[in-house]
Amino acid sequence: MKLGWYERLKHAIRFWLLRRLPPCKQTVAVISQSFERQLSLREQVTLKLHLWICVWCQWYLEHLALMRNSVREKAAETPEMDFPSAPTLSFEARERIKRRLSGDKP
Amino acid sequence: MSPIQSPDAVVWLEQHGDYLFKYAIFRLRDPSAAEDAVQETFLAALKAYEKFEGRGSERTWLVGILKHKITDHFRRSTREAPIGEGEDEGPEHAEFFTRTDGWDNHWNTSYAPTDWHATPAQLVEQGDFWRVFSDCLSPLPARTASAFTLREVDGLTSEEICEVLSITVNNLWVMLHRARLHLRNCLELNWFRREIGGH
Repeated sequence: MKLGWYERLKHAIRFWLLRRLPPCKQTVAVISQSFERQLSLREQVTLKLHLWICVWCQWYLEHLALMRNSVREKAAETPEMDFPSAPTLSFEARERIKRRLSGDKP
Repeated sequence: MSPIQSPDAVVWLEQHGDYLFKYAIFRLRDPSAAEDAVQETFLAALKAYEKFEGRGSERTWLVGILKHKITDHFRRSTREAPIGEGEDEGPEHAEFFTRTDGWDNHWNTSYAPTDWHATPAQLVEQGDFWRVFSDCLSPLPARTASAFTLREVDGLTSEEICEVLSITVNNLWVMLHRARLHLRNCLELNWFRREIGGH
């Protein structure tokens, strides 16, 4: 299949950018920091450009957001969950706590 | 210390014991540490019962105390394991970005992320996912796993976490980055690729 001139130009720009921008290894560290602090303008622009040409780092960013959001949702509802494998206090722990609560020394 | 008059400790344990335990184990991932935190919470609650005075829900009040006990646990376990030079921040996973085709430091295709097609609402409902999640956190050094939990589960600020774990903000960022790199890959291998393969 022959690519049109526009497609070829886009491809060339992407390739040119990928060679000049910080590589994925540095980019994923910046992605992680974007969850912790405000990125500088330069960092933001560099990150945006990298994400424009790199679907792997796009997914990486999505996955970090997904992990954070789902773990927080889960934490908010965990104690209410009643699925069969939900952890409960063992019999021994229950008895030990009962004894301690009624004033026995351990 | 005199035995309790009010409230009845046995009833308390029945009503709130498992709830508090589930709350604790999700964060501590260690049954005996979670049991201790629950026990300490009940003991502290008994001593301070006059202060509670029936304001608001008893359970909310108990969870508030438990949060402090969990933070104390992280603080203590940190003190027992002083930070070394870089070695307890977790694996660097340099192999994720090692390539021999002239694109070194870009994703190695064997480790590159794929599309997960998942939403928080779907994941929250899947009990098995959280077992995998917990297993994936386990191999991380204690302090790195604690930093991740305090940040992502409880949403503490960087300053608060640095104080609890006695680390600098740069340590924290490195720890969070490595925890995320490791966890994302572990979830991809042990959950998302299996899920896709299973359909």
